Amino acid sequence: MSQVNILKYEILSAQGDLSQTLSAIKNEDIKLSSKIASILDGDITVPYFLLENVKKKSPNDIYNLLKNIVSTVISDLDAEQRKSTALILGTCLPDLNMTSNIEANRENELPEYSSEKTSVDTYARKLCQEFALNDFSMTISTACTSSANAILEAQNFLKNNIFENVVVVGAEISLKMINDGFSSMKLLAQKKQKPFDKKRDGLILGEAIGAVLLGKGKSSFSLEGGFTNCDSINITSVSEDGSEYVDVMKTALQNANITTKDITALKAHATGTHTNDLSEINAISKLFSTNVVFTALKPYIGHTLGACGVVELCIFIKALEDGFIPKALNHSESILDDYSPLIEHKKCDSGIFMLNYFGFGGNNTSLIIKKEST
Amino acid sequence: MKLYVKSFSSYKSDIDKLDVKKELKQTYKQDTRRKDAFIHLAMLGIVKLKDKIDINPMDELYMTSGVGNIDILQRVDEYVNGQGQCIKPFDFINILGNTTSYYVAHAVGLKGKNIFQTSEYFTFIHSLISIYSSISTSKKEAILGSIDLSHEPKEILQRVLDVPTKYELLSSVNYQYLSLESSDALASLEFDIKIYSHDEIKTLLKNITCDVITSPRCINLELQKETYFFENLPSYLINKYIEDNSDLLYIDCFKNKYKILKLTSMKK
Repeated sequence: MSQVNILKYEILSAQGDLSQTLSAIKNEDIKLSSKIASILDGDITVPYFLLENVKKKSPNDIYNLLKNIVSTVISDLDAEQRKSTALILGTCLPDLNMTSNIEANRENELPEYSSEKTSVDTYARKLCQEFALNDFSMTISTACTSSANAILEAQNFLKNNIFENVVVVGAEISLKMINDGFSSMKLLAQKKQKPFDKKRDGLILGEAIGAVLLGKGKSSFSLEGGFTNCDSINITSVSEDGSEYVDVMKTALQNANITTKDITALKAHATGTHTNDLSEINAISKLFSTNVVFTALKPYIGHTLGACGVVELCIFIKALEDGFIPKALNHSESILDDYSPLIEHKKCDSGIFMLNYFGFGGNNTSLIIKKEST
Repeated sequence: MKLYVKSFSSYKSDIDKLDVKKELKQTYKQDTRRKDAFIHLAMLGIVKLKDKIDINPMDELYMTSGVGNIDILQRVDEYVNGQGQCIKPFDFINILGNTTSYYVAHAVGLKGKNIFQTSEYFTFIHSLISIYSSISTSKKEAILGSIDLSHEPKEILQRVLDVPTKYELLSSVNYQYLSLESSDALASLEFDIKIYSHDEIKTLLKNITCDVITSPRCINLELQKETYFFENLPSYLINKYIEDNSDLLYIDCFKNKYKILKLTSMKK
């Protein structure tokens, strides 16, 4: 089966487009906003990485943001290539048209009946139409692994020659019910996201949109393999020893025909929550020696939920193109002796890398990518 | 692309008059707490499938739905936006699509790949394409669960389905156990990424001898249609035709673009 390459990529995060986001990371000049969350005790202000100076209120606004990102990654494809290009979206967003109909029904103001289908896949379907791509659109909703799983699905399509290219999109825009939901579970940090740190107190949500074009054309970045499973002790957590994460990482390595010794560095999921970080660092320690290089990207852009698979991949490879692996911001003292994430940016421009994504609903995903030396 | 159906299970609300939650608790000894009607329906389908075939913990699970769990969105809207209350943690969790597939996997001990996905149109056929692609790589077997929950008031669903309002909207859950291997198969399913034009479909139909059923969305095709609708109608119909040892050509449609699904029964 032929190699799957990462051909083009772009994002929009709270720090700006991909170049602006990388610049913010290098200079540690991080823009962080806030939002109101409703909890039992009343309203509280929580930090939030928000897309600023862009319209994102309506489904149409969100669609226009997606359209801009996707148009960038498919700009080199001619009409024939587009016909054999599928699009997969990974997101936690619900069908906003349906939620507005639900609200209208509650207020007895349902709009006139119109013969128009909508679903969580509406964005993806419309993007395929807009850019004359293949009619195959799909939206994957597996919580925080949504767009990472979309990447693995795309890899299968390409390896089996079902499509010539696949655009994988990740999208997450702030919704009150998501913000309040995380607040109700007491998972939100007070000020900063501090992955793997003894003083971590939770995650900060982030808005972001990203897209990657996968195909068989030439690129210095390739997708070597990966694995996804659904295994946990309950709907929100895996075992404290991280054995479920170990299984998914091990199988990802096997699928890529490599061992832990081949891994140059690891991008952890690293939410900054108490249980997830503990399970993840325990899992890392079971598989890797103490000199493993690992980092976390969420302190720069927030936890972008279903979008993080694509968005963090884009940031990671852009940083490698720039010759470094970003440090884990806000980290002081590790929760596990001898295993600390990077506390300084590290020079690196090639190698094999593991990217981990773990979500609610027991979904665990590990991707393996390779960057050829320039 | 071809997949073989090794086993199946079906539930459709107008035929199977049962209390789904009670059935899960009493017959299948399943924990129904903290779950809602959509999740119960999905769980019922998988435990019925397990009655008929051994499920390997590493079998791949794909779940698909037309509009997902509309009940939970309406309930949360009512008490959050209508009454100004805070969202409850388990309602928040149940809003996520893959919560359903988690509980489905948990009900029968699945620990492998688990994907919850939706296509605006052709969601069942697209899920078959995903599975074909996935198990061609992994060499495993897969379970496809298709779930649609009817909802009151029906006017909300009618506004997001693009189906004439004369069709009755039903709840249904249908599963197929799918393989690339033909041994012990009940039927084969053939499908493709190809889009057919109206004229191509007309030409194709000239040589078809088996039953043909079309989606209610195929308003320009004067062929047999059911009187009811749910998004994963083809999933129910192929199970019904396998049960009857018959062949079927199902035609789905989106704005005069057609896709076909061909079922060949292997137990005739």
